[in-house]
Amino acid sequence: MTRVKRGYTARRRRKKIRLFASTFIGAHSRLTRTTTQQRMRALVSSHRDRSRKKRDFRRLWITRINAVTREERVFHSYSKLIHNLYKRQLLLNRKILAQIALSNKNCFDMIFNKIINQK
Amino acid sequence: MAAAKPTVSSFFLTLASSSNDPSSSSPTTVTALPRSRFLSAGSSPKFSIAHSKPSFVTSSSPPRHKLPVRCQQQQNPPSIPPEQRWMFEESEINGPDIWNKTWYPKAADHISTEKTWYIVDATDKILGRMASTIAMHVRGKNLATYTPSVDMGAYVIVINAEKVAVSGKKRTQKLYRRHSGRPGGLKVETFDQLQQRIPERIVEHAVRGMLPKGRLGRALFTHLKVYEGPEHPHEAQKPVPLPIRDKRMQVQK
Repeated sequence: MTRVKRGYTARRRRKKIRLFASTFIGAHSRLTRTTTQQRMRALVSSHRDRSRKKRDFRRLWITRINAVTREERVFHSYSKLIHNLYKRQLLLNRKILAQIALSNKNCFDMIFNKIINQK
Repeated sequence: MAAAKPTVSSFFLTLASSSNDPSSSSPTTVTALPRSRFLSAGSSPKFSIAHSKPSFVTSSSPPRHKLPVRCQQQQNPPSIPPEQRWMFEESEINGPDIWNKTWYPKAADHISTEKTWYIVDATDKILGRMASTIAMHVRGKNLATYTPSVDMGAYVIVINAEKVAVSGKKRTQKLYRRHSGRPGGLKVETFDQLQQRIPERIVEHAVRGMLPKGRLGRALFTHLKVYEGPEHPHEAQKPVPLPIRDKRMQVQK
């Protein structure tokens, strides 16, 4: 049999992987085997966290809204606010509510008063 | 081209001018979004390259203290002539997009020296309930700017820590355990004994258990200052009494 060298296929494959992991720290961007593993882990994390991201942000918004509702009003809370929101059939979602609460406190207070006053 | 607006300062967008930018005029009052400036001038390299670009008049961002980022109407939107719109990013023309990007604090939003200081007198307060409120404030969960990854909380001073109260028979029955790491090194103490020995540790132990465990949690813990008597060395920080909502926190005599 003639001698067959394996050529450049492996190198080209590994180059792509290395490019992906080029910004990783230390050996994770330098050593081939480590790079492959780290790329796999990175992709797995990325896949898993795409769903997590939605959950995490909703959690954050809820906590922020809760903090703001409890701030001056003693007996109010996030749960009551949301309940009243739904009763009044307002379509504001938590993200927008949280951003309003942050950027424009007066606006949020107005919304809040409107909701609770006309339960 | 440059619309003359009375309250607006025009500035040439070079890197030099960026040094006198909003960060130096950071407001002294706390609360919310105000600190994050939307025009971080000098960050875009385009500006420094094209000096020949006509200087356009912009607002010095949300410049004043309590002026947070407005919803859609910027009071002084930068008046970029339409033929130059392509040179600038969306956020520079209209301000930051607050509806599609959840707010995240910048460094100017959590400067330690500008945080609130609270003070609690622990005399006859139920230990756990007090610790819970303290932990909330130290972590920053009472603020709209709460972020789990950033230390947005306040500082809390606790005085008269040796007078903290517990209900029931906890005074003689609550155990504090610690282990020295060596076999047989479990040391047990009752609440009473620990109060005689190191009274601050009781409050610290309680609050530490309620703070997150981790690097940030440990950093948060350093924001709690517990003292034995009525004196504390933080007068210069002008601490404010901690707002207490829990009615059952004070022991009724």
